[in-house]
This record gives sequence, structure tokens and C-alpha cells, in this order.
Amino acid sequence: MSIIVQNLVKEFEGKKVLDDISFTVNSGETLGVVGFSGSGKSTILKLICGLLYADSGKIQTTKGDIAMTFQYSALFDFLNVFENISFPLVERPEFKGKYSKKDLERIVAENLKILGLKDIEDKYPSELSGGMQKRVSFARAIVTKPSIILYDEPTAGLDPVSSTIIEDYIVSLKNELNATCMVVTHQLSTIKRATDKIIMLYKGKIVFKGTTEEFLKAENPYAKQFIDAAIEGPMDILQED
Amino acid sequence: MSEYSLKNTLSYRFLRQSAKDWKDFLVTFGNIGKDFNRVIKYILRLEIDANKLIEQSSRFAFDSLPITLTIVSMTAIIISMQISPELVKQGGGNFIGMMSAIVMTRELSAIMSGFAIISMIGSSFASELASMSVTDQISAMKVLRVDPVKYLIVPRVTAGFIMMPFVVILSSFVGLFFAGLVANITAGVSALNFTTSMWQGLFIKDIMVMLLKSAFFGGAIALISCSCGYSTRGGAKDVGISTTKAVVWSFLAIAFLDWIFAILFYM
Repeated sequence: MSIIVQNLVKEFEGKKVLDDISFTVNSGETLGVVGFSGSGKSTILKLICGLLYADSGKIQTTKGDIAMTFQYSALFDFLNVFENISFPLVERPEFKGKYSKKDLERIVAENLKILGLKDIEDKYPSELSGGMQKRVSFARAIVTKPSIILYDEPTAGLDPVSSTIIEDYIVSLKNELNATCMVVTHQLSTIKRATDKIIMLYKGKIVFKGTTEEFLKAENPYAKQFIDAAIEGPMDILQED
Repeated sequence: MSEYSLKNTLSYRFLRQSAKDWKDFLVTFGNIGKDFNRVIKYILRLEIDANKLIEQSSRFAFDSLPITLTIVSMTAIIISMQISPELVKQGGGNFIGMMSAIVMTRELSAIMSGFAIISMIGSSFASELASMSVTDQISAMKVLRVDPVKYLIVPRVTAGFIMMPFVVILSSFVGLFFAGLVANITAGVSALNFTTSMWQGLFIKDIMVMLLKSAFFGGAIALISCSCGYSTRGGAKDVGISTTKAVVWSFLAIAFLDWIFAILFYM
């Protein structure tokens, strides 16, 4: 088992954002976390990578690095691409001084190549397109060879072609690193192309848990409403609080 | 006719707003205290990145220098313009240099430099860190297991503490130069007269207190600005709120520290 989440509860200002959430992601699997906005999807990722603390419940992960990519890339805008990607290798206490400039240049070039990029080391994030920023943020995330990769809405704001490229990279990175992944997404294409299992959240609770195939069959009324993008259904979208 | 409701009364809204302001004050104070605690631990362990310290020191001192020197010089010029002719009329022309030196070293130079640094550097520290926070750059740093306090705040606070005395010393010299120049132009006080009188108003104690005080001013401005920026959540509006908060809190901190130093050394 790579990620085990048991009875997770998280409240913000008295409101339960996650209510008794439990799931497991096996090693090498990709779990898609879907749901409408405000359902607590990103909160799960932040709890797993330690950015937030749970009010109760348990999270167990296998040893190794946990990487996370953010919805809007979160590249350091004062550093160029090379400095962004090499950042953890240069700044993390356990790596400090371990890599020479040559090593870093080689590692950064390799990581950029994995993501189909080259000759952009000197560019700053503001000089890159949204899709390229995402890929650079992926390159930064995988530079420490993490065993778990968390993607927070990796295709948000991208055109369909860029989304497809990103989805392909999610799959190829998982295979390349033999990593366990979680993808928070709204996009059906991402669900179809990049995930093995799905959990669906509504008002902080899991309303669907199963394989991607089962989810896409839309036998579950919540999954059906999501896939059909229907206003009518068990989820009261207009009254979201 | 609308129904009477306690929640609609002016006093209820006033009390609710006051409670909110107090809560906000305590949260900000707590955040600054928490960040101070973490920063001081790194500084005492000498875990300060030399390159970042140099980068931030250069920014703190040199980037702010034109505006700092302009503000201090203008203040010195205005004061000298007003007091020099009056003092000469009253027969106190020989005291203009001394008075200028005392005013500069004890108060004006450090306070006016502090104000300039807050508006120039403090606000930029706050908005920079606030932008990083709302765009998840600080979260990304944490996920990459690099402590943002060590990476972002420690070099800035250390730079503020070290560089502010240099800024203040330089601005004192420039301020005194302009005070003398204006005294000469407006009241005919000779350079020799002004300089001789000025030396009588320069005391080692005042200079030492000025240096110590300005170091604390610099450290406080950097800490408060970084802390306000670092704790920002939300979006663009919150970046603006945090920057304003950083400026206001820095002004208050400087006034408070100045008062403490006056009690400690001049009472």
C-alpha cells in the first residue's frame, strides 16, 4: 500500500470540509479525486503532503518523497527555469553542496527532456505559456525522484491539446518513476486518460469510490450527474455552501 | 416598517467590528511573534545563507538610498530654512550646527530613514511574500522541504538589522551637509561656524544609540513586513491589505521602539 487514508476529518472555521474520508491508493496506481468546486479535493492533497494538519484521522504513506504540483504551477517567479527545477537539490538541507553546477545542468536537462522541453533554462516563468509552466512545475516536482506525486488540477486553464500533453506526461511520469499518483481534476479527459481509480467527493464526503471504468459507466447517480454535467441530480450545485 | 433587530443596530455593528479588529490585531501580533521566534533561532545558529544575505543587503541599503537621502535631506533643509534665520536674529547663530547635529543624530535621521525604508523596502517585502503566498509559491517551497522562513525571511531580517545603521549614518552626513548649506544661504552662517558648532553637538553616546536604534528599526521593519506578507491568504485584495498592514505596523513599531530607546537612554 502506498497511501492509506483513514477516517480523515478537517474543519475550517467550524465547517467540515472533509468528513470521515477513507481510501487507499496502491503502489503504482493513479487515483483521481473528482467533485465540484469546494468539495474538499485539494484539501486532501494538502493533508497528504503535510501542508495542512487533519483534525482527526490517519494518513499513512510509504517512505520517500512526496511531490505536489499546483493548479497555477507555483513556479518561483524570481527564479529562471534552471533555478526553479534545481531548487530542491540546491536548497534542501540534505542535498546542500551535494551537486556540482555540472551535475545540476545535466539533471535539469534530463528532466526537461522527459517533459519534452529544451533550451528554456534561462527563461523566467512569466516568459512561458501556461502549458510550459505546468511541465516545468512537473520537472521540478520529479527532480528528487518522488515515490508519490500529487497533481492539483493539472489541466485547469489549458487548451485541449495542452491538456492532452499534460495527461500523457502524468501517465509517463508514473511509469518512469514507478510512482503512486493522485490527481485532483474536473476534466473527464484527465479521468479517462490518466487515472486507474476514482473517488468522488460531495460536501466533504465520499459519494463514489471505484475504478475509472465503473465511474465512467455512470451507474452511480453522483457520477452520472458529474459526467453528464447536469444541474439536476443528487448534488445541489446551485445551493453549494 | 422593518422589524427591530439587535444585529442592525449601530452599537452592535460597532462592537462586532471592534471585536474583529482586536482579533486581527492579536493574530497579526501572534504571527509576528511566531516568525520572530523562528528567525532568531536561525540567526543564533548562524544558519544564514551568505549569498542571499548579500543580495538582500544590497537591496535594503542601495535600492532605498536615493529616496532615503532625499527624504532626510529635504527634512534637514526645511528645518534649517526655518530655524537658521530665527536663531541668527536671536543671536544664536553659533548654535545652528550643534542643534542640527543633535536633532539629526538623536531623532531625525533614524526616524525619517525608517519611514523611507518602510515605504520603499518594507512594502515591497510584504507584497512580494504575500504574492508568493497567494500563488502557492510558499506552499510549493514547503512541499519541496525548504523552509520558507529560512529561505525568505531570515536573510531579509538580517540584512535589515545590519544595513540600516549604514543607511542612517550616510543620511545623517548628507542631512547635516544640506542643513549647513541652507544655513549658509538663508542666514549667512559660514561653513566653519556651522562645522565648529556641529562638532559640539555630536556626542559618542548619541551616535551609538542612533546606530543601535537604527539596527533595531531595520530588523523590525523587515520582520514585520515579511511576516505580514508570509501570513497572507486569499487573492489580490489580500495582498493589498497585507501590504498596508505591514506599512502601518512598521510605522507603529518604529514609534514604539523610538519611545523605548528614549526611555532607556535619555530619561
